[in-house]
Amino acid sequence: MDFEPAYTPEQRAFRAEVRAWLDDHVPHVEGDQDSDENYAKYRQLGRDLGERGWLRPTAPVEYGGGGLSVDHAIVLAEEMDRHDLTSPPYYDSGGSLGGASILVWGSEEQKRRLLPPIFRGETVTWQLLTGPEAGSDLASTETDAMRDGDEYVINGTKVFIGGSHGADSFWTICRTDREGARHQNVSWFMIPSDLPGITVERMYLLSDGREGIGRGYKNTIYFDNARVPAENLVGGENNGWKVASTHLELEHGSGGRIARNVWFERTRDRLRSLPANGAHPLEDAETRGLLADLFMETEVQRLFELRNFWMNRTHQDMSYEGPQASYYRKMSGLRASQIMLELLGPYAQLNDAEFDPTGGRFDSYLRNAIVSLHPGGTADIQKVIMARRIGIGRGERERAGRTVE
Amino acid sequence: MDLSLSEEQQLLKQGVEDFVAREAPLEAVIELTDSELGYSPEHYARVAELGWLGAAIPEQYGGAGLGLTDAAVLFEAFGYAALPGPFISSGVVSALIVEEAGSEEQRAELLPRIASGQAIAVLALTERGYGWGPEGVHMRAASSNGDYVLDGDKLFVHDAIGATHFITAVRTGDDGALTLLVVDASAPGVSVRRLQGFTGSECVVRFEGVRVPASAALGDGGAVEHPLDRALTKAAPVLSAYQVGGGQAAFELAVDYSRERRQFGQPIGRFQHVQNHIIQLVNHVDASRWTTYEALWRHDSGKPGIEVASHLAKAVTSEGFVHAVNYSHEVHAGVGVMHEYGLTLYTTLSRSLYHQLGSPRYHRRRLADLLVDYDLGPDPLD
Repeated sequence: MDFEPAYTPEQRAFRAEVRAWLDDHVPHVEGDQDSDENYAKYRQLGRDLGERGWLRPTAPVEYGGGGLSVDHAIVLAEEMDRHDLTSPPYYDSGGSLGGASILVWGSEEQKRRLLPPIFRGETVTWQLLTGPEAGSDLASTETDAMRDGDEYVINGTKVFIGGSHGADSFWTICRTDREGARHQNVSWFMIPSDLPGITVERMYLLSDGREGIGRGYKNTIYFDNARVPAENLVGGENNGWKVASTHLELEHGSGGRIARNVWFERTRDRLRSLPANGAHPLEDAETRGLLADLFMETEVQRLFELRNFWMNRTHQDMSYEGPQASYYRKMSGLRASQIMLELLGPYAQLNDAEFDPTGGRFDSYLRNAIVSLHPGGTADIQKVIMARRIGIGRGERERAGRTVE
Repeated sequence: MDLSLSEEQQLLKQGVEDFVAREAPLEAVIELTDSELGYSPEHYARVAELGWLGAAIPEQYGGAGLGLTDAAVLFEAFGYAALPGPFISSGVVSALIVEEAGSEEQRAELLPRIASGQAIAVLALTERGYGWGPEGVHMRAASSNGDYVLDGDKLFVHDAIGATHFITAVRTGDDGALTLLVVDASAPGVSVRRLQGFTGSECVVRFEGVRVPASAALGDGGAVEHPLDRALTKAAPVLSAYQVGGGQAAFELAVDYSRERRQFGQPIGRFQHVQNHIIQLVNHVDASRWTTYEALWRHDSGKPGIEVASHLAKAVTSEGFVHAVNYSHEVHAGVGVMHEYGLTLYTTLSRSLYHQLGSPRYHRRRLADLLVDYDLGPDPLD
């Protein structure tokens, strides 16, 4: 066994190139990371990355990707991580998950038309899954797309969508047959966001816009007789549940990641910097014990992600590991946030220029620990999927969704 | 990065699994565990013969010279079968102590006999005050005409029944130096009694005027705290692997039962409360598995952070095994507590091994003290 990524000489050389490039191109931002001005800088970084094929490194070149190996993608992801950035460096859920789904399910013509703008960072795409009537039960969506000539007419509402800076396209699941059998009556569409009949309205949440989860607010999207060209239906009419299995598999965390245990280090650093009454907090055995609890939570989480990363990149059959990591991340994040609350005291809650030098880092963690319980399937849904994959109470074990062509 | 077992490890795993499936089906293990000795000397001899007992003992001392990960793969399969016997106590814990703390002469004398199963050595460390650190050792061995004379009880000694030697931690000299004395179990004044209760192989080992020569002390006269600590730090994740195997068995029993047992007209695994028990169960087993094997990898590849990883693994795993078994009981209801069903083998083990080599509380404290200045290492990307 080897728990450490081993880098080839080629990767090392590539890393040097990427690092130097990123040092030159990652924007310096001040103040609110989510301000329009700063967002524009991250969008530009996305376009610059896209131009080099570094935004979607493993996607095929003919569709605007980088055509690079997984080895290269690992290096790119890690180097972005060093700057506290994901790739893309802004919210583009529909691009990431929709792009991957189109690669599996789209026609050749659709891949050539829809993917390049996504993979080059020219556009931003939101995913539209949840509706007022269909949250965990995605297949019950009541957003309708009814065929009318060369178009589909969309009516309905989607909630908890996107972020604060708008999108060019919506990657959406709709009901295409009101009378059809469950799971055989839905389809996916790539919908241009500027069609007549689409209204976007803000919804403010507990999240605060940092750490990549909901930038400031989410949105409600209303479709009122919006007409989408039929060529934007992906994966075939009423075949949407199969497409969804790809989308959801990726969303349920099967990809994994390699990352440092940053929250342990950040919490320990913050603890050191706190004003003390006499003895330093770390001289107190109970405080050290809580820090150990935080370490245990975060290390187990890190190892689950590492395992999934390895399984995914080596193309192994995955079973319950994706939803397990997702479930664990959600619950362990909540437990970790409570440990922080205890360890740092009320300082953990601050996003206050005078008394919190972290720029609200822990305030953000505490909020997002709650907000992130739900996206990508609630914690309970992750357990439902795990149960099917393990085969609890059933002889047949459900297979994971297809995530590669 | 490669988290799979090597080809050799897979072969080893297969071999061990075949062995335990053939030699130690659950009914046989229940019978063995109920027997006076508590394990099968035939199994022990066979495991030694196959070279498994001395898996982690260097070749020059009669072992197989494998890594700790290899040993863990082997003992995980033993844990899966709940196979009882002083395999880890002697072949891993004591062997590592002799290796770390013994003189060259002692290593050459003891290790080959441990590997061959001729000698069964177990660590007698804990006392009435109970604690796995040196601070828990109070028993004195007085000097008398160049010999040591031991008087006192060692409590919660695992696998003492059938042992031929006790590596006994005592205090000697005016400064009360920690000393490890290798005491022959047949020496006059040594007696062993299995502790009664919800326990596994725990015993009390009583020393009444037991006389051993000064040469029974491990080492060349230097301090043994650090060598002992190093040995236990290495042994802990191997024991954890045995716990992982036990947890895996508790998991599989629960999944099978969730399919077979029907109530209200359907398999009970269709009920989400039952599903939840099994999901919590497998999360504990997997958390145990990956913290354990990460620690073993650090040992075998000489990575920094060995101590942190070992304490983490034993803390997570000891707790995880108990939770795993508890959840399995929730799934099994009445059937799970029936003696002949087999789940209770793991239940007892989970409680017994919770303490062997230190409880989660002990390891959490050690971990906490180390973490204050723990360097997570250079950025892996550099």
